[in-house]
Amino acid sequence: MSYAYLFKYIIIGDTGVGKSCLLLQFTDKRFQPVHDLTIGVEFGARMITIDNKPIKLQIWDTAGQESFRSITRSYYRGAAGALLVYDITRRETFNHLASWLEDARQHANANMTIMLIGNKCDLAHRRAVSTEEGEQFAKEHGLIFMEASAKTAQNVEEAFINTAGTIYKKIQDGVFDVSNESYGIKVGYGGIPGPSGGRDGSTSQAGGCCS
Amino acid sequence: MHETDIHDLSDDADYAAASQQGSSSMTRTDSSKQSSSGDPEDSEIVYLKDNVTIHPTQYAAERISGRLKLIKQGSSLFMTWIPYKGQSSNARLSDKNLYTIRALPFSDIQSIRRHTPTIGWQYVIVVSSGLAFPPLYFYSGGVREFLAIIKQHVLIVRSSEDANLFLVNNFQDPLQRTLSSLELPGSLANRTPLSSGTPSDGSLENKHTSEDGHLRSIQRNNKQRQKSHDPARDISIQVLEKFSLVTRFARETTSQLFREGLVDGHGPNEKKRSNWASKDHQSQGMASNDMEIVPKKVPVPSDPLEFDKLSLVWGQPRQHPLGFQEWSTFLDTEGRVVDPTALKKRIFYGGVDHNLRKEVWAFLLGYYSYDSTYAEREYFVSVKKSEYETIKNQWQSISPEQAKRFTKFRERKGLIDKDVVRTDRSLTFYEGDDNPNVRVMHDILLTYSFYNFDLGYCQGMSDLLSPILFIMKDESEAFWCFVSLLERLGPNFNRDQSGMHSQLFALSKLVELLDSPLHNYFKQNDCLNYFFCFRWILIQFKREFEYEKTMRLWEVLWTHYPSEHLHLYMCIAILKRHRAKIMGEQMDFDTLLKFINELSGQIDLDPIIRDAEALCVCAGENGAASIPPGTPPSLPIEDSSIYYQQDEEVL
Ligand SMILES: Nc1nc2c(ncn2[C@@H]2O[C@H](COP(=O)(O)OP(=O)(O)O)[C@@H](O)[C@H]2O)c(=O)[nH]1
Ligand SMILES: [Mg+2]
Repeated sequence: MSYAYLFKYIIIGDTGVGKSCLLLQFTDKRFQPVHDLTIGVEFGARMITIDNKPIKLQIWDTAGQESFRSITRSYYRGAAGALLVYDITRRETFNHLASWLEDARQHANANMTIMLIGNKCDLAHRRAVSTEEGEQFAKEHGLIFMEASAKTAQNVEEAFINTAGTIYKKIQDGVFDVSNESYGIKVGYGGIPGPSGGRDGSTSQAGGCCS
Repeated sequence: MHETDIHDLSDDADYAAASQQGSSSMTRTDSSKQSSSGDPEDSEIVYLKDNVTIHPTQYAAERISGRLKLIKQGSSLFMTWIPYKGQSSNARLSDKNLYTIRALPFSDIQSIRRHTPTIGWQYVIVVSSGLAFPPLYFYSGGVREFLAIIKQHVLIVRSSEDANLFLVNNFQDPLQRTLSSLELPGSLANRTPLSSGTPSDGSLENKHTSEDGHLRSIQRNNKQRQKSHDPARDISIQVLEKFSLVTRFARETTSQLFREGLVDGHGPNEKKRSNWASKDHQSQGMASNDMEIVPKKVPVPSDPLEFDKLSLVWGQPRQHPLGFQEWSTFLDTEGRVVDPTALKKRIFYGGVDHNLRKEVWAFLLGYYSYDSTYAEREYFVSVKKSEYETIKNQWQSISPEQAKRFTKFRERKGLIDKDVVRTDRSLTFYEGDDNPNVRVMHDILLTYSFYNFDLGYCQGMSDLLSPILFIMKDESEAFWCFVSLLERLGPNFNRDQSGMHSQLFALSKLVELLDSPLHNYFKQNDCLNYFFCFRWILIQFKREFEYEKTMRLWEVLWTHYPSEHLHLYMCIAILKRHRAKIMGEQMDFDTLLKFINELSGQIDLDPIIRDAEALCVCAGENGAASIPPGTPPSLPIEDSSIYYQQDEEVL
């Protein structure tokens, strides 16, 4: 399959927050509560379209347990985007965000786009972290923020695609030297390296506006 | 295994050695008389090497070791190879006599081909009168001296096409001669062996029933030459006998090797081509232009082992699993395992019948001791059961109020709660809501985290427990078997990942030893952390094979035969199968990680176990030495020795 760009994403966050479910919902459009926990890393990929350009997202889904942090750190290299996920029903997963962010800042390239996701928003009755707190954290750390549900698919498309849109805009703005693959971007066929026409980085696919 | 000269394949190494050799220490001058027929007078041993070995079958385990000598008598040189007496070996006694080389005059030898694989042993194939002797493996090195000494005494010429082919008695056009000698073994393969009934009288002219006129004329030439300059030519030799008795394997090996050699002889591009050796490449046939075959790929350095695989199949064929009837033969009347080593070996080669696993795994894992009786085990199981209940009760008695103030407990329980519902739920045994086996798995893991509070719970443990519970079906027994397994694999889950890092480190050392081009590739591409093998090692390939195959593999690994670290050799075996693709496509760390991940479900278990065994055999002591003591799944080094070391440092 040909693409204009390939973006490497990494999904991080505590174990059990729903990283693998988010990935599966995005790539396969299904929620599978019965699946194996992630050991090491798993991969997913999907094509999306931004600005009429086919873009391939290659997504790295990581294991979240503390012991595996040192391994996970080696996966950040060359990621263009990261989805940092917490579980709105488990306060501690929110409390750990700072340490995840620290890892990301230390081991990923500085221009990596980070999307903060408060997952399991279908479980509103068990909510332990308010939407405002999530927004506040995102604002403080310069992240994009969304609440989502891997179960109902709410905001899942948007989360992945908005991240891609932001990355795409950075390319258009010349923030990245796309010939340098350490930014997590590969130029495929039809990709126009460097800033060029079409400054419009808005998404053209699925979901339209986010909530 | 590696001598210094193994790395020095520069073309003139042996020549250089020959000129330096003189009467150095390598030249043995004890003039012991030969006991073989035709005892040469005034003979002088000019070369003597122990542990020179023949493999009568393709299995590396079967071998006949002996002493190789070069004996000079007058102006003639003879080669002898006498197997050791009464040495334990899998080979039959008759085989020993069969392969004995009593006194082979160099005037009869046409060529010697040297093989210097970077792994395994160097060997030579001696071709005499058109027929090849089985490969002689130099277990203690010494091929260089061997050739050097020969060079001092007879005229040998290195083939212009093949730096490893040495032509003996070659007074004619070397190229013509090379091609002739190379053709011979090829035709040999199709020829019925010469009558093995009656050894002939030793006259070469009568020896060959071949219709091949060309072959004959060469031999006659040889013979005449021999007559004119070899005063000792009347020595009785049993070359013919040897020719007719070489086993099919030895013949095929040699002819295969020479067919390979024939390709070698065809052009100067050959060296380059051999660097391309890869499965892809081979399956696409031997076209002359590599660039056309694999367009996008870059040249891949050949696999040192692959290159040599024509010579021996090291790993043994897999057998059927151990069944009930055979199992009973391993037990005495009271239920003791009489010969645990034999049992482990048997299981290594075939695994265990599924219905027998419950019983046998308990031994393999170390829960049962081999010398226990039926009665002792029955008692033991009941004692262990109550012991289990006691530990389990420790967390079961924690009240909700207490749990509120016990964060560590809540965290652990929370992790385990989440993970047991994400472990093998597609299996009937664990599927469905409120599955009682999932509950049992939860209880065992939580109990373990109290039994071994320091280690606690870590992801991956449920993967290790799942098949054990599935087999044992009993909570307490599954728990204790799991405990036994974690005696060895526990360090995989150390918080600082030290157990994993030490295994990954050992793996990199082993790859360096067994496939240095691949090692260099990883080094250049920043892949030396071997993180791409992380999952393989952490949970013993559980995610790479289907459930049944995983259980087969585990029982094989648990035998610790032929090494406690066979799983590392497994990693190498798999990597080797894909080395051409990995290097050819210039995979970087990310690509490699993804590639390896996607091998899941694509790996054929039995061939990989065989390869792993082969690699382990080949690596031998050097392999073992590459793995630091205490590397899991070896049992941890005794604490006392650590204290001892600390004491020493202080002092
Ligand atoms: N209700 C609900 N449950 C979810 C959602 N996402 C994941 N889960 C559940 O949370 C558990 C952990 O999900 P998983 O994707 O494996 O988490 P990971 O460890 O971050 O990869 C699973 O049992 C899922 O069924 C969600 O959006 N809503
Ligand atoms: Mg996961």
